Amino acid sequence: QVSVLYFARSAELAGLRCETLSVPREITSLKLWEEIVKAHPRLAVIQDQVVLAVRQEYVLLGDQLLVLQPGDEVAIIPPISGG
Amino acid sequence: MEESEDVPKDFIKLKSEKLSVDDVSELVVSPYCGAVSLFIGTTRNNFEGKKVIHLEYEAYTSMAETEIKKICRDVRQKWPSVKHIAVHHRLGVVPITEASVIIAVSSPHRAESLEAVMYCINTLKASVPIWKKEIYEDEYSWKENKECFWANSEK
Repeated sequence: QVSVLYFARSAELAGLRCETLSVPREITSLKLWEEIVKAHPRLAVIQDQVVLAVRQEYVLLGDQLLVLQPGDEVAIIPPISGG
Repeated sequence: MEESEDVPKDFIKLKSEKLSVDDVSELVVSPYCGAVSLFIGTTRNNFEGKKVIHLEYEAYTSMAETEIKKICRDVRQKWPSVKHIAVHHRLGVVPITEASVIIAVSSPHRAESLEAVMYCINTLKASVPIWKKEIYEDEYSWKENKECFWANSEK
């Protein structure tokens, strides 16, 4: 079970900021994204412009294999605009 | 001489209150430094012909602070003579002309602090998880920095 955090446009599309999700311990970043989209289909529109942050490290959507621990933070990161 | 004067410090703050240039400058001033360089990011009142009412910022706070710490670490590697670094970013509503971000760097001579400030703001825009929403009269828009490598730059 991981904590999924939603920010900016992704929070608007998902309708929430934070939830727990049950996912396999080992999963590719793309598959993890797909699980999240299953729960919140409106997120599909931003798929090309989003990265994840797993344990506060950026991860591109793709084949990268993640090894998740219970309670890990996974954040949905739309294009940033700080500064 | 106090030993604490020699220790370079990073001052990182994300807060919803109005930012103060005086406060941020004072954090980095040092008797060993002849230069303090500053960058202030302020809110423009227009974008593509639309009137901007105000900006709203949100952040993945814990990761944003970590990413800013990484930027400070990189600055010290590239410009070892840099003494103190302060990065203050405002969150929540920021009215027009008020500052959203203030970066201050002190160094013995001016070249390093000037270059370090530019590096800080450019890298912040590329890597720190903070988002800006521009509020117009009829609508709003989540902005995307061109430095952000995962944004689609259609414009």
